[in-house]
Amino acid sequence: MKEVKAIIADDERPLRQFLKARLSEAWPELMICGEAENGREALDLVERHRPEIAFLDIKMPGLTGMEVAEKITGSCEIVFVTAYDQYAVEAFEREAVDYLLKPVSPERLEKTVNRLKEKLAKDPKPRRVSPELLHRLLSRLSGKESPQHLQYVRVQHGDGIRLIPVDEVIYFKAGDKYTMVITREGESLIRKPIRDLAQELNPEKFWQIHRGTIVNVRFISRVSRSLTGRGVVRLKDRPETLKVSIRYMHLFRQM
Amino acid sequence: MISKSIPLSRNMEFFLDKKRVWKTLLLTALFNTIIALFLTHLGFGGGFMVNLIFSQSIGLSICSSILLGHYFVRAPSGRGHILMVLGAMIIGATAGSFLGALIAGIPFTVILQGRPALFIQMLFMGILFGTVISYFFFSREKISQTEALLQEEQIKRLTLEKKTLETHLRLLQAQIEPHFLFNSLSNILSLLESDPAKGRRMLEDLTRYLRASLTRAREDTTTLGQEMELVQAYLDICKVRMGERLRYSVELPGRLRDHPFPPMLVQPLVENAVKHGLEARIEGGGISVLVEETPVALRLTVSDTGLGITGDRDGGVGLTNVRERLEALYDGKGRLILEENRPSGLKVTIEIPHEGSEGYHSR
Repeated sequence: MKEVKAIIADDERPLRQFLKARLSEAWPELMICGEAENGREALDLVERHRPEIAFLDIKMPGLTGMEVAEKITGSCEIVFVTAYDQYAVEAFEREAVDYLLKPVSPERLEKTVNRLKEKLAKDPKPRRVSPELLHRLLSRLSGKESPQHLQYVRVQHGDGIRLIPVDEVIYFKAGDKYTMVITREGESLIRKPIRDLAQELNPEKFWQIHRGTIVNVRFISRVSRSLTGRGVVRLKDRPETLKVSIRYMHLFRQM
Repeated sequence: MISKSIPLSRNMEFFLDKKRVWKTLLLTALFNTIIALFLTHLGFGGGFMVNLIFSQSIGLSICSSILLGHYFVRAPSGRGHILMVLGAMIIGATAGSFLGALIAGIPFTVILQGRPALFIQMLFMGILFGTVISYFFFSREKISQTEALLQEEQIKRLTLEKKTLETHLRLLQAQIEPHFLFNSLSNILSLLESDPAKGRRMLEDLTRYLRASLTRAREDTTTLGQEMELVQAYLDICKVRMGERLRYSVELPGRLRDHPFPPMLVQPLVENAVKHGLEARIEGGGISVLVEETPVALRLTVSDTGLGITGDRDGGVGLTNVRERLEALYDGKGRLILEENRPSGLKVTIEIPHEGSEGYHSR
């Protein structure tokens, strides 16, 4: 049988060494042709060495193990390594994908090694990890980290830039060139025009009540109406009132 | 459009909603009837029907004038309010008297020329009863406002209690965050082979960290010194795992060591910096934790040179929790300030009021 090559990818050096040491006991003939400490290096190593097996840590900087797998699956056997990810582990079990749990135990590693040896002897063509599974795990890894709505506005403060969470903003008011951001602590200016803000803010929390005004609903204390049908919004924590133009009055109408 | 599905907060209301106007008018009509009965009983005026017509038209006119006044002058305050009500009563009583005369079929001349005393009497009575009834409505409004205020206060208190409980629960879970724990254990296991001394140190760090966070989550207040110890232990563990990719410093002036501080406010900021700022960045970066004191404030800053808020915009969940706790604990005087760090990363500052240096000297 020809020499079998493998790479190990994990951002934590002691863990790479540990896996390497365990592998040298469980499979002395296996050649570790490279170690990667991030996803991009792992990808490079696979391209350069064309290994038969890749041990991929799921959580890595650069590219995650899932992202690397998405690109290399089919060119080598993949074994995922994770410290703890119940969701992924259940999915791997269901789809018969190889995986190892950190800290890697010798018994478990032996099982995996035997399976890999058997597979390589029977059929040298590498298995493919189902793209749907990878896609699902990937979107779960990154999905909750990309909210659809604007979370912070950047304002100049002294010679630094402050990040104000939009939840803290009482209202936005359009100015000549800038947009004024009013919070409990004061006013500041941002460059983003009201038009863009209206698109990016969560419409359930921010209402445009006038061509030049967007108000944070949680800071509205009262809405009254004048004889002309125009509304006036009173705010919590601020003395001034805001005008509601007639075309936006429908927002308050269901009361 | 979007508006249909959006629930409104309960304290948002129209100043003059129809239901309340009808209720006020109905109650006024009831009072008017009672006044008419009372006056008839005293033998005043001209029989129950005439008295009823007059008291209804005067009372309802006054009531409508006051309501109209409210409609035009929104939320008048103090003296303005009294003047407005008084004006509305004079106008209402006059208009009501004529209206009553019209309905009862009494010629105006009788009121104006025949017996001017009657007109003054009616005006006087209108204002007298009007004042009593207005006062009734006024105090009713006041009571409902006070109730609303009380309710708001209660909601605030319950929210705070809930938040504290949630934080405790979350902290109890956080300290045994499985990924962190298993990763640390794997590292210790591997170090025991390659570098036993280092492995033992890491095991000690982990023990220190677990013990500190387990006890801390149950306490209401700790000291800055203890909090920094926890942060130090956490960073020590991360350092072993991340190696060259993590540099850090923790600075706490000696005299602030025993300063009381709420538990687990700094820890989430440091965790956030490691997890979202540095771990996901190939070249890693630095974290510095710094405590400073000004005459009025205590400032605790966690800065990192990681990915910053654009790299991971959801870093806000933990931060929101810290912000809410700060606000609740210090009654709006505690602040969480987020700034961009240069050239990269995030700088998060907790600012809380300082009990003042006098407190220090007197101790």
